[in-house]
Amino acid sequence: MTVTSIVIFLLFLFAFGGFVIYDLLTAKRHKEVYRVKSTVTAYLMLLPSVALAFLFILLPILYSLGYAFTDYYLLQPDKIGFVFLDNFAEIFEEISTKGMLYNAIINTLTFVVGVVPLQIGLALLLALFVNRPGIGSKIFKVCFFAPVVISLSVTAFLWEQILAPGPGGLLNSMLSVFGVAPHDWLRDPATAMPCIIVLSAWQGCGYQMLIFLSGLSNIRKDLYEAASLDGANAWHKFWNVTWVGLRSTFVYILITVFIGACRIMTQPMLMTGYMEHTVTLSYYMYNSGYTERLVGESSAVALLMTIFIGGITLMQRRLFREK
Amino acid sequence: MKKALISIVSFLLMLTMLFGMIACGPTETEGEAGATDTEGNIIVKIMFHVDKSSTEGQAYQKRVNAFNAAYKDQKIKAQAIFKARSAGASGYETELQNNQTEGTLADIITFDAPNTAAYATSGLLYDISSLISADEQSKFYSLNKYNGKLYGIPIQESSAGFFYNKKIFRDAGINVDGITAENPWTLEDFKDVCAKLKAHGVTAVDMRIDATKDETAPYLLYPFIYANGGSFVSEDGYTANGYYNSANTAKGFQFIKDLISAGYTSYAIGSTDFFTGKVGMYLSSGWTIPDLDNKYREYFSSRDDWGLLPYPKGTEAASATGSWSYAITNNHHTDKTASLELLKWMTSAESSRAITDATGMIPARKDAVKDYAPGSPEYTLMKQLELSGTERPVTVAYPTFSTTFNQIIFGLDNGNVTDLLNSATKTLQDAIDKIKERG
Amino acid sequence: MDTRTKELQNFRPNKTPAKKTVKEIIYHVVGIVISVIFVLPIVYMIATSTKSESAYAASVGTLNMFLPDFANLGVAFENYGNVLLNYDIWKYALNSCIYALIVIVLNILVNGLAGYVMAKLTFPGKKLLSFMIIFLIVVPVETSIIPLYSIVKIMLGLKQQMSVLGVILPATISIFNIFLFMQFFENIPKEYEEAARIDGASTLDVFFKVIMPLSKPIIATVAVFCFIGVWNDYLWPSMILPSADDGSWPLLPIQTALITIKSIESITTGEIMASLVITSIPIFVIYVAAQKYIVQGFGTSGLKM
Repeated sequence: MTVTSIVIFLLFLFAFGGFVIYDLLTAKRHKEVYRVKSTVTAYLMLLPSVALAFLFILLPILYSLGYAFTDYYLLQPDKIGFVFLDNFAEIFEEISTKGMLYNAIINTLTFVVGVVPLQIGLALLLALFVNRPGIGSKIFKVCFFAPVVISLSVTAFLWEQILAPGPGGLLNSMLSVFGVAPHDWLRDPATAMPCIIVLSAWQGCGYQMLIFLSGLSNIRKDLYEAASLDGANAWHKFWNVTWVGLRSTFVYILITVFIGACRIMTQPMLMTGYMEHTVTLSYYMYNSGYTERLVGESSAVALLMTIFIGGITLMQRRLFREK
Repeated sequence: MKKALISIVSFLLMLTMLFGMIACGPTETEGEAGATDTEGNIIVKIMFHVDKSSTEGQAYQKRVNAFNAAYKDQKIKAQAIFKARSAGASGYETELQNNQTEGTLADIITFDAPNTAAYATSGLLYDISSLISADEQSKFYSLNKYNGKLYGIPIQESSAGFFYNKKIFRDAGINVDGITAENPWTLEDFKDVCAKLKAHGVTAVDMRIDATKDETAPYLLYPFIYANGGSFVSEDGYTANGYYNSANTAKGFQFIKDLISAGYTSYAIGSTDFFTGKVGMYLSSGWTIPDLDNKYREYFSSRDDWGLLPYPKGTEAASATGSWSYAITNNHHTDKTASLELLKWMTSAESSRAITDATGMIPARKDAVKDYAPGSPEYTLMKQLELSGTERPVTVAYPTFSTTFNQIIFGLDNGNVTDLLNSATKTLQDAIDKIKERG
Repeated sequence: MDTRTKELQNFRPNKTPAKKTVKEIIYHVVGIVISVIFVLPIVYMIATSTKSESAYAASVGTLNMFLPDFANLGVAFENYGNVLLNYDIWKYALNSCIYALIVIVLNILVNGLAGYVMAKLTFPGKKLLSFMIIFLIVVPVETSIIPLYSIVKIMLGLKQQMSVLGVILPATISIFNIFLFMQFFENIPKEYEEAARIDGASTLDVFFKVIMPLSKPIIATVAVFCFIGVWNDYLWPSMILPSADDGSWPLLPIQTALITIKSIESITTGEIMASLVITSIPIFVIYVAAQKYIVQGFGTSGLKM
């Protein structure tokens, strides 16, 4: 591994050097002026972060993506061999026969489609709600953030009790007041994913609320006054002043929430276990990589997922960039 | 500027120094039987899966210290390494595979019994069939064998059974005094008791069919399949087809499904319902004994209030067993004599008793037996283990087996048993084939 | 939409005082109701930490789950006392604090410098680096923990004491924090730097003496999230650190130790919750104290992805 790592490092340097030379050659065309002194300072200042990022982030990622083309079995690291595209063939077979991976893709898509608007919407509503002076709103702000910092094992256990299937489950006993029969929320394929969506949004939205709040704090108060003078109603003010002011914050939140949502794993793991109706892509990767020890296959899924998330992220950036 | 530059440069130096650490080797010299320290002692390393500060860890450390005192003259020194597995199996296993590639694998490791096949085929474990005499082997309740070869010796054993609420049983007029480990009840008796409990107006039994997130459900429920004459994989562990989806296996799962349909058990039983006197019976492992003794005094003030029944018997008698085991590893030390001494020491009757004293589990050795009063829960578990203890299936793809078992139990109420078994068989067979290709 | 409209109306100056009071009351009632939904886990945690095992078992599935066991408050003291005295929690908490402190300082230095260079300097290769930043934020890291573990093990060798570095070093680099710093620095007007430059300051001087003092909000934000990250991490330290040796000071951070404590058979749910309450307190204190800065830190003129 030491030798491979050094080889990768040299390749990295080589590629980086190539880009530097390319930048230097096209400097004129791009109207860039590079000065020796500032370049040297820049590289010196970047060195610690680049060295650390190379070692602890890039190198592990390259290794794990590289495993996608091998038959790496966790218990036999010394017998690792290249299988080229075999893992991908197996992936496509599993998708076409509607195996676990097919479910994982469907569930992940369901989750993303459900949680992204819900979480962002909730975050925005909460931000608008607490964006006012007064001690009350300050306390609310702290409360809404609470699920973000509480240990996941506590929140998962609490939700299990809330969604418990019997008549003793909290939600069921509350609903029974209205004459609703007890429901097995997490075992029913129709309600399991929605429940996970709601609890994830509940848990995460406090963080995005803070970011929205910071976006709101940057909107100049005189814009609202000007709108009032123009006779705008509350809705118009929201749409023309608040929303416009929040645009770049929104894009940022959209992309980060989207990426986070694609990686959902812990909630289904803690709430239902490895079951068809709640398995997600990350959970599938975890299961095949660690539980079944087939690291090669797991990495192949990771590689495809990277391409997918990367593609959508680029699309989102293109779509929402300030025109 | 200069100050800042100096700090950056020194930071970089620090990084290079870290790289340099690769070059620095340990102060021990390597030999065939193990590393040798400066005093000429052969060092035998043993890795445990628990934290050192836990009671179990302390017990291991004491036995290792005792070994060192006893083998001082023979110049063998054991060194204990503790790698707690509690944060998830991935940590312990990643450590194992890394040690294997780096050539730093401990001479003896502890491992979970269902992993025997996977570890043995990957070359992690050393074949000790010829090193342990047949007489010695016969002293253990179970051994970790794969394809006829002996790879591991259990540290301690566990078994499970049906804890029952004596108050509820008395009120419902159910007498179970005649049911002992030596004279177990039948599946029909079991259903009868369930029916009486249901008629009495309580939930009959918590079969733990909701515990399908981890090993709990497979560990507690697999004996029901064996009791019906079913099986999971072939003898060599490489074929699931024809075993996992056989008629008898289906009968076993159907038995559990019938319990659900009849309303004797359900997925909706709360995890604490038995402990608060709402459920008649509770399927669980021996570690529930101390909980019932100490934690729920308001509901179970003494052992007059609860008891333990063995697994019911079908065409076969089967009960749950489970153990962590010791194995000598296939590391770069080719001379295993020193490791063998330590293994024998750690599995001796004395060690066995000392460790189970700390953990409250059942000793792995029959001759380390403790004097439990016949009829006590501990006695029932131990006797049942001796008479009908059956291992979980031995296969290289055990984790996949466990996952599919959970999926079957999870879908049992709405699904058709045959369909569930066919799909599980396919998944398990695929996983076995993949690992076989790589082996 | 309705709440939002109402809420915006609150700001209208032309309202009668009586109407305003009613609105205020409605606002606070609604706020309290929503807050309750969000603080449920905390309420549950605290309530459970006051209960004995059988009191807890009886409360599961009923609303008593969220109410402390007032009848036996002695149990609460017992739970907290046992946790604090028997399991050395404070030692592990101190470890976490030390790790967090080192990580915070290094993280801000390393990533701040990188963010500054990316935001303010021009040099060949910059485009590649900014592409890499986005790439590394996007790529899933679930499978990379195995090679990361091998790399750290190779780097640090077999010495157990070195494994502390294995916990700290990987945490000092965070692409996301580079990104945050970069966004923040881009919005600092050039004039500040130029003024310092005219006085003959070097780039590093500018960074430490001009940029950093102007960046307290983002520094506070990064520091808080570093702290939360180190404090809540359990998987990685459990893989990389040796478990406690007799007598000597343990190396494990709080969450890893908690997992071990939770697996002790004789421990009750109440004691587990008491330990969770104790370990949640620092995070809350820090978060409440730094909240104002975090809002500013994300703020300036908005984040661009």
